[in-house]
Amino acid sequence: MKRTSISALLLTAAISGLCPAEDYSEVDRLFTLKVGPLLAEKCNGCHGNDIEKVKGDFNMLTRDALLAGGETFGADVLVPGDAAKSFLIETVKWSDPDYEMPPKENDRLTPEQIATVESWINAGAPWPDAETQSAIRLAEAKRKVTEDGMIIETSGGLGDDWTYRRYRPEDIWAFLPVKKPEFPKSENQNPIDAFLGAKLAEVGMTAAPEADTRTLIRRATFDLTGLPPTPDEIADFQEEWERDKEAAWTMLIDRLLESPRYGERQAQHWFDVARYADTGGMSNDYERSNAWRYRDYVIRAFNEDKPYDRFTIEQLAGDELADASVAKRQGGDKDKVQAARLSGDYNEEESEWLIATGFLRMGAWDNAMVKEEEARQLYLDDVVNSVGQTFLATTMRCFKCHDHKFDPLPTRDYYRIYAAFAGTQMAERAVPFLEEENRAGFAEGKAHVERMLAFATAGKEALVEKRETAAKAWFAANDLPYLNEKDRRDLDDDKKPPRHVGLSITEQGQLKVREQDEWIWTRRLERYEPMIQSVYNGSRKGAGSARKLRIPEKPAPDHPIESTILTGGSLEAPGEPVTPGVLSMLGVPSPSGTEEDPYALPVSVEGRRLGLAQWIADARNPLTARSIVNRVWQQHFVRPIAGNPNNFGVKGQKPTHPELLDWIAADFVENGWTMKRLHRLIMTSEAYRRSGQHPEYTAVASEDPNNTLLSYFPARRLTAEELRDSLLSVTGELNTAAGGLPANPEINMEVALQPRMIQFSLAPAYQPDPTPEQRNRRTIYSYRVRGLADPFLELFNQPNPNDSCEARDSAAVSPQAFTLLNSDTITDRSIAFAVRLEEEGSGDPKGLIHRAFHLAFGRHPDPVETERLETYLHEMTEYHATSKPAEPVYPEQITRSLVEEFSGETFEYEEILPAFENYKADLKPAWVSAETRALADLCLLLFNSNEFVYLY
Amino acid sequence: MNHSPFSSASRRDFLYGLGTSLGSLAFSDLLAAEAPSPLSVKPPMHPSKAKAVIMLFMEGGPSHMDTFDPKPKLTELHKTESKLTAGLETGFKFYVGSPFGTRKVGNNGLDMSDQWQYLADPEVADELCNYRGCQAESLNHPEALFHMNTGSRLGSDPAVGSWATYGLGSVNQNLPGYVVMTELALPQGGSRNWSNGFLPAHYQGTTLRPQGSPILDLSSRSYKSREHQRRALDELQFLNQKHADANPQHADLAARMENYELAFRMQTEVPGVVDIEAEPQHIKDMYGLGKKETETFGRQCLMARRLVEKGVRFVQIFSGGWDSHDYLERGHSSRIRSVDQGMAALIKDLKRRGMLDETLVIWTGEFGRTPDNNKRGGVYSLGRGHNADAMTMLMAGGGIQPGIVGATDEVGGKAVECVHPIRDLHVTLLHQLGLDDNKLTYFHAGRYKQLSQFGGHVIPELIGGGSKAG
Repeated sequence: MKRTSISALLLTAAISGLCPAEDYSEVDRLFTLKVGPLLAEKCNGCHGNDIEKVKGDFNMLTRDALLAGGETFGADVLVPGDAAKSFLIETVKWSDPDYEMPPKENDRLTPEQIATVESWINAGAPWPDAETQSAIRLAEAKRKVTEDGMIIETSGGLGDDWTYRRYRPEDIWAFLPVKKPEFPKSENQNPIDAFLGAKLAEVGMTAAPEADTRTLIRRATFDLTGLPPTPDEIADFQEEWERDKEAAWTMLIDRLLESPRYGERQAQHWFDVARYADTGGMSNDYERSNAWRYRDYVIRAFNEDKPYDRFTIEQLAGDELADASVAKRQGGDKDKVQAARLSGDYNEEESEWLIATGFLRMGAWDNAMVKEEEARQLYLDDVVNSVGQTFLATTMRCFKCHDHKFDPLPTRDYYRIYAAFAGTQMAERAVPFLEEENRAGFAEGKAHVERMLAFATAGKEALVEKRETAAKAWFAANDLPYLNEKDRRDLDDDKKPPRHVGLSITEQGQLKVREQDEWIWTRRLERYEPMIQSVYNGSRKGAGSARKLRIPEKPAPDHPIESTILTGGSLEAPGEPVTPGVLSMLGVPSPSGTEEDPYALPVSVEGRRLGLAQWIADARNPLTARSIVNRVWQQHFVRPIAGNPNNFGVKGQKPTHPELLDWIAADFVENGWTMKRLHRLIMTSEAYRRSGQHPEYTAVASEDPNNTLLSYFPARRLTAEELRDSLLSVTGELNTAAGGLPANPEINMEVALQPRMIQFSLAPAYQPDPTPEQRNRRTIYSYRVRGLADPFLELFNQPNPNDSCEARDSAAVSPQAFTLLNSDTITDRSIAFAVRLEEEGSGDPKGLIHRAFHLAFGRHPDPVETERLETYLHEMTEYHATSKPAEPVYPEQITRSLVEEFSGETFEYEEILPAFENYKADLKPAWVSAETRALADLCLLLFNSNEFVYLY
Repeated sequence: MNHSPFSSASRRDFLYGLGTSLGSLAFSDLLAAEAPSPLSVKPPMHPSKAKAVIMLFMEGGPSHMDTFDPKPKLTELHKTESKLTAGLETGFKFYVGSPFGTRKVGNNGLDMSDQWQYLADPEVADELCNYRGCQAESLNHPEALFHMNTGSRLGSDPAVGSWATYGLGSVNQNLPGYVVMTELALPQGGSRNWSNGFLPAHYQGTTLRPQGSPILDLSSRSYKSREHQRRALDELQFLNQKHADANPQHADLAARMENYELAFRMQTEVPGVVDIEAEPQHIKDMYGLGKKETETFGRQCLMARRLVEKGVRFVQIFSGGWDSHDYLERGHSSRIRSVDQGMAALIKDLKRRGMLDETLVIWTGEFGRTPDNNKRGGVYSLGRGHNADAMTMLMAGGGIQPGIVGATDEVGGKAVECVHPIRDLHVTLLHQLGLDDNKLTYFHAGRYKQLSQFGGHVIPELIGGGSKAG
């Protein structure tokens, strides 16, 4: 690494012949080190660099040009010695709305920067010559830390200005080593409380008291499992709390952490960041038939409390671990490694590692209408960015086209990481099913797919036959021998029948739909095969087709993969060559680093990703541990300690409690990266048990309006998945089976059957599973189609899986009210809840209301509530005596209409919906009594109430 | 967004404290008037030319050569070999002459293929600006759609309509500020095309569905009357009020209560707007209602006018089927027939009502088409590929200068005059709304994000500045 050695030289060795920094005047230094670079960054883009395009005839490249002014303002732009009279200052202050410079919000000068320019002007606006400037810069570069900040050593930017720019330590906090701070210890105090308490004491605030037991168990149960506690669980907990509250609390946490629901809940958080979906999105939205195996891997990993460093390495390089393991088993035979790749002859451990690499296949990707190399670039850029955001809280996109604008991340490092993935090839590959994988429903699912496939194939064949019959007639009429479609393809137009001979426009369209469907359903059969969506190492340059990605029988010769910086991010502009490597700004060497290049990764096709993964999971890597503990903190306290969990850079929000974050990160690593221990640490703090209600909330509101000091517990709205799962749980309908094929719950029927465009056709209609047990699984098991969101979940801010989501939105919008009041889903849940209440024999209206409150809220209704709701129930019973709900209708076949994209003509075709042939619907309003409907109205109120959807 | 849980809490607390005695309707009205909602009207940043936008999105990529940018040269070159390298088609390529005739219409001499009947009416044509200089960047539908709709090819950023409502709010609090109408089939990329992206969810496009319920689950179940719904809401407010009293610290509770009242009002307001039966017959006829070919788009255009009239800020209509890789003549002719009458009526109607001055109507696709094609199935197929280097769009009203702006080369392969990327179009659009793209920012993921991503320029020729080409 040439760059590293130069910077090392500059920073450490004395350079002879240079004067020390003190020899230059303050103002010359001010200009060279601050004002000059500021002009270059903020002004010269429009006022200098390109003489042809200079704006307002105003050039700022030299002092003379500046003094001369431009077309609007002459010499008063810059009045040396008098900043107040210089119009330049006016413009950068944005005080004249017509002349706000620079014009973009993002580029606006900070008050400190403005003050710098002012003092330069007041000092006479000197402009040292180039030689002096260069000498000043070199002298400055020797001083690693100055009052202007510190230089961060990196592999080097594209220019020296960037390489030697300075950062304030508090801005680059995340890139500096984790230092486990001492905390103000006191007897038995959780370190978290020590840190939080110290900050509260600083501003003289007190904390809210402990929350009540019902709030506490609800909070803990939702946080760890995403579900509400049952009335029995609440009662047991309250009883134990009476006996020994500390014991009750730790027992509760232990019980929840041991629940299989824990892994499901944690996986949901992981997938917000990793972007889980069962399809690939974009034009075709192809199914990724085996993605569910990765989903279950993640759930298992959390339930088994797999150490986070292992979890990281497996997801990033599980295939390399498996290859190494096979090689070891086979005495280092490379051919056997390749044979195993093709046959899937892996043991349990190797299989698990391979399944983990599904992470590298989570992004939306399709190569349709994209050039081969560009498609590959799209994939690699996505993976690089995803790895950065997920594990390192670093938005890699920001230094793909240039050195990072704010962070010490040179574009060279982007392409070193990019090179670490340069051999990574996408593939569906063979991996045997594991003992613990849920294979329920395989036979039934496969039969359904085969039925759909048979329908498509039959339709296609009939149309092909019709066409070929017409073709035969054409050849006969023209006295030519018949050739099938493939063989006649290259004949001249007058030697063969028209392309769609014998088919009407409608039939042409139908044929295309059937051909697509045949392919779609054939592909879906892969769900039932021992396959995974994964990667392998190879040196292929293109990306392949999203339709079918397989490991080639014969691997391409293992020729070296060459990588370069892509200038401006463009494939057409390869720049300096780069070798694979890790991010240099952390100063953490890679496992294969050398003295010459401490950040180097192997240049062989194999081992690049494993090296990168090991570097990420290195205990010394400050970003990895900080990033994950910050995310876990956010799960519990809503607001993360560092406000942007996907971006710890200069522009991300600074941590509110940096020492606390570091202490937890260090503690996490020292204790084996265990997630369950981390939850315990957080949840056994007093802060976590605080009430959401502060006794002096008006005072608190003015002192700490965003509750960053956590003097009380922050409330949150349930997430979309928690809301749906809670509804099913309260009604008693939830099927808690774990893992396996994606479940297909009922979604809004209009949306399910609404046509959805894919590249050459319409996607098949969404069909729910035929039985309630299959449909009413936890939401994490729902079939996640990128091009078709469940509108219920989408309304409650389930994130778009095309982009990593660092924090859920919870804005209340009116359509949420529509869906929670009027949808089929909520109506069915309210009926189910009513029936449950009746069946449990809760008796008279008072009893029903009492039990409903217990199940939904975990508390007794008070007398006012009971009385009002009793009246309501009575009125509704009268109302429903004459109400006439409609019978549901489930179509077994629908007619689709599509504009043929090439011809613009509309055509229709039939689609079968076998799921509805023996459909076991949820109980409908029309099938229950007026009393039940009335009770369901009451249940509906509870589901809509703020008490149900908020967590305190 | 990290807003304070106490923001505007005191006012709401006070109101909700009175809530029970005032009656729920009364207090919610008070709230609507007093508490600023994320959609409250905000003043423009500079004097605006347009108050609302209606964007007619022709999904698939209409061909400029066969609509508004005729190329006689192509007719000469018809079926001769093409060596152009743009586009994705490979192998032997040949030029495709337009199957349509063309003529000049109106005072500005706009070129229109002979398929356009209604739009050629001088009353309409003289309002139109045909812009030929825009260039897209992607050759694939979803990316190009995302780019035109959100300023980014990735499909996760806020839509133009979201930015507009974020910047200006919406006049009518009982209707969504940003409304999207699609055909029954969603365009490629689906709802990401009108997503709020990283802006708060209040700014997402609300789809008015072409059939069934205009907004999903808008109306209550058929066996539940409006009085039933009101009764349920009163009861819900009772439960929520008790809960809010016990949790005075939590301002979100009030916002969510308010939402139920807004939802209730929308249940009345939306069907009213959507019910176009109230329109006089001659208006319905003008928009081509009652004719199979023009019904869908005509209805949506009429709806767009009604929505803008009611104070909706941004309306988008998606109309697909323009992807004529083959059978160009049949395809484009049928697409033109389906939109011609509706859009002409819309412009006329807006004009006659004095609304055109303040409403910017824009007709565009996600990219243009190539002058050439390759063989499909071994046959000379008369169609065109995707072209990111040249396209065509129409604009009217909202301070846009009628006439022709920009030009493409002699075969229509590339824009060559007044060439601008999509971001400049977006910046211009915001400019007409009184918004400055450089100031209309939202802090997200470490930087102030803007629609144009990294800044762009107003296209002066479109708004009556600079020189014009033709």
